[in-house]
Amino acid sequence: MRIDSLILRTAVRLVLPLTVLLAIYAALNGHNAPGGGFIAGLVTTVGLCTYRMAFGQRAFHRLFPVHPRWLVVAGLGLTLVVAIIPLLAGEPLLRSASTVLRLGGQELHLVSATVFDLGVLVVVVGVAVGMITRLGEELGP
Amino acid sequence: MVGNRWARDHNCPMAPADPSLVLAAVGAPVVAGLATLLIPRAQNLARVLLAACGPAASLLLLGVHLTRYGVAPNHAGTTAIDWVPSLHLDLSFLVDGLGAFFALLAAGVGVLIVFYSRGYFGNDASSLARFFPVLGFFTSSMLGVFLADHLLLTALFWELTSISSFLLIGWERDDETAVKRAMQAFFTTGFGGLALLGGVLLLGDTTGVWRWSDLVATASEIGSSGTVVAAFVLIFVGAASKSAQWPLHYWLPGAMLAPTPVSAFLHSATMVKAGVFLLGRLLPVFGLLTIWLPLVVGFGAVTMLLGAGLALRQEKLKLIFAYLTVSQLGLFVCMYGFGGATDGHSRSAIDWDLSQIASHGLYKAPLFLIAGALAHRLGTRRLPELFGLWHRGVSGSRVLVVVLLAASYALAGGPGTVSFVAKELFLGAAHHAAASHPALLVVVVMAVLAAACNVAIVVRLVATVFGWRLGVRDEDLDLSGQDVAHDKDRWSPALWVPAAGLVLVQYIGGLLPPVWNSVFRRLEVNVNDEAFVDGLPWLWEPFLHPGAPLAMSLAAIGLGVALGCSQRMRGDIDDVHDRIYPVTYRLILQYGHRAFHGIQTGHLRHYLVFVFALLLLGISWAAWIDPAMLRLPDGVAPFESLTGLLLGAVVCAAAIALPLVTERVVRVLVLGASGFAVVGLYLLYQAIDLALTQLMFEIISVLLFLLVLRLLPRLDRRPLIGRKPRLALAALVGITIGWMTLLAGHAADQRTNESVTLGAFFEEHSLHGTEVTDGRGGEGRNIVNVILVDFRGFDTLGEITVLATAALGVWSMLPGRRRHRNDEGQPGTIAAEVER
Repeated sequence: MRIDSLILRTAVRLVLPLTVLLAIYAALNGHNAPGGGFIAGLVTTVGLCTYRMAFGQRAFHRLFPVHPRWLVVAGLGLTLVVAIIPLLAGEPLLRSASTVLRLGGQELHLVSATVFDLGVLVVVVGVAVGMITRLGEELGP
Repeated sequence: MVGNRWARDHNCPMAPADPSLVLAAVGAPVVAGLATLLIPRAQNLARVLLAACGPAASLLLLGVHLTRYGVAPNHAGTTAIDWVPSLHLDLSFLVDGLGAFFALLAAGVGVLIVFYSRGYFGNDASSLARFFPVLGFFTSSMLGVFLADHLLLTALFWELTSISSFLLIGWERDDETAVKRAMQAFFTTGFGGLALLGGVLLLGDTTGVWRWSDLVATASEIGSSGTVVAAFVLIFVGAASKSAQWPLHYWLPGAMLAPTPVSAFLHSATMVKAGVFLLGRLLPVFGLLTIWLPLVVGFGAVTMLLGAGLALRQEKLKLIFAYLTVSQLGLFVCMYGFGGATDGHSRSAIDWDLSQIASHGLYKAPLFLIAGALAHRLGTRRLPELFGLWHRGVSGSRVLVVVLLAASYALAGGPGTVSFVAKELFLGAAHHAAASHPALLVVVVMAVLAAACNVAIVVRLVATVFGWRLGVRDEDLDLSGQDVAHDKDRWSPALWVPAAGLVLVQYIGGLLPPVWNSVFRRLEVNVNDEAFVDGLPWLWEPFLHPGAPLAMSLAAIGLGVALGCSQRMRGDIDDVHDRIYPVTYRLILQYGHRAFHGIQTGHLRHYLVFVFALLLLGISWAAWIDPAMLRLPDGVAPFESLTGLLLGAVVCAAAIALPLVTERVVRVLVLGASGFAVVGLYLLYQAIDLALTQLMFEIISVLLFLLVLRLLPRLDRRPLIGRKPRLALAALVGITIGWMTLLAGHAADQRTNESVTLGAFFEEHSLHGTEVTDGRGGEGRNIVNVILVDFRGFDTLGEITVLATAALGVWSMLPGRRRHRNDEGQPGTIAAEVER
């Protein structure tokens, strides 16, 4: 299913990069401000969804050339690794670690949970993209 | 002298034995078996030698263990290597007389089987390459069963023997019958394995003791409560199914379709002995239960007589030996059953049980091996076709016949073999037990009859081989058998040398009992009373002191010779128990099919009704237990703000309108309206994260709905469920879920006497910890996110796993149309990926 509209196509071209930027910002900043991996994943998905509607299946494949299952695998793997690493140090599963990085005058507060959140983001995007493309295949270009 | 040395070990506190040595012994066969896969295809000699190294290494390692630590008493296991402490599971072993004996037997016969299989399979590299790894896997599992000290470890290895024996029995994987028989054996013994696991869990949970050695040490405290008896019965079911006790014995003759090395190994020396072994383990623990004697002796005695009778009515050599094995297993079970018989002062009526079992392995394995060798040389296993074999002069068959007859003589329990003394011991034990339990006289008679059947079979075997027409009617003769040419190479002695070696031990033990005693006295210390028998007697001793056992032996021999020469009890009959498994299997399929179609209607509406009804039931049950759930929580202000009220009204209106709208597109939009109103509510109460999530979710779901709408089938207007019941269910579910949400929301603000409220807790610990959380905080200011990735991180992990699984479902259930069949040669597209 494709909506053939010049306005939509132009708008999506402009909006999609912004959506992705917003998603990345929300994911990285989610620990301290509204946002987080899940929301970021959903934002990305909405962007990709509209792109699929505006440009059709072929264009979507060109934009997204890997099979989404690899995203799911990568995301789940990332979260599992983050979850298991504390076990190696004798800590309970999923215990998060944090450190403060000083770059110039700036203080950067890094938390391992953010990496976990990125894994969630990747899984959500992978699942959503997979569903959209698979359903899209049923619907034609 | 030797006895003293071991007795000293028995009394002194020993250094804790080494579990890693035993672990290596258990693992050696499977490692060696897998290593044979690395050997190039043509190198069969290296393959055989490497495969033989596995069980040989087990023998060596066990030998080292025994010389270093001695035969442990059965209440002193090795120290444990932690494995899964949360399941009470560790790697600990018990190298007592019983376990060590069985392990040595399995490993020893295992070495011989490796060489025999080279003779049996010939120079067929692909068969051998497939065979040795599985054989190693099986040998290792068997050793594990025999040496495990931990209850769960025993159950684990027990299951592994079921799996590996399935692979071995179904060796001819293109033969449908063989596969069916393998499944029959697997399901039957697997059923027993489940019973064993249940019994073990029940026992461990009740007593809190998870090791056999500790159970033996605390046997007097175990009591005879209902749970203990139930645990024992379950474990007994497991043992009985593995050891082919009536009525589950059918799997063993059925498994005779396996190649002969497998039959010989599984059915004479290892797998079927696992149940007998387990009874030996159980005896010191459960022997005093009143149910022990009737249960164990009952099943054992029935199996013993039934197996012997059925063996007499078979014509195929392997089947005859298989039913004889069943009979002999019944005898062993019976023997351990006698262990529960008390006569006032001495507890047990048995001793030298291991010699019994060893004696059986030492003649039954050769019989199987020779049966296979005859089939190899002559192309037949049927008794009538062997008529006059001795005079036929087939090359190399005479030596087979000699070994066959030597083993048969032991089978008949002829004087001069260990088997003779073993039978005397068994009859003596039966007689002894019958003295205090007169009902056991029936068992004595059954034992004599079974022994007579054994003798009769041997008489017929001898008569057939030499071509004597003792009671054979002419129409039963079959002289048409063709001798097949066979390939002869330097490995062909491998067909009979292992068998001859085993039989030789029978005669050495029978003629020179001190040799046998010197080996077995160390091992026999485990089982009960040393006072019962001092050792195997010299050949002439039973005749010097004739008693009831000798009289029974002679009666059995006389009866057996008469039966063997008579025309009665001949011909091939089917065992009625063979139908148990197919009938059960068919019934399960039939009713399973029916139940499946009753539950899986394929209508989403039915599933929803099931799910909702269960939900309502669950919640009503919870409310029944805790009536406070039905009270309106304090402090709920329904009309807090006008905007909230309006948004709530929109949600409600959309929900009510939903079933009234008929067009799907409109429904999707109405549903969206309801969702967006919820977003507004979240914003109103400053839950920005939730609002964002809900917003995105609404957009995606509307888009997805629009995408799939065209795929949905036409709306089915026929109501599967009446309108009123549906309305009632919907109203009930709606009200219940709403109520639960109200309660849940309120619970976060509830303050119990000590702790802070849930909301306050997260608020407080989201960034920095306090002493409540050991000073650990979530290191974030966004409470919702901290809850998601830190406080409830495990939930999130579970959720994304569910999400991934759902995606897998979409990928596999909607297989895709593959319209863009690589027409542009884009390897990166999903269609192309799926194509590959």
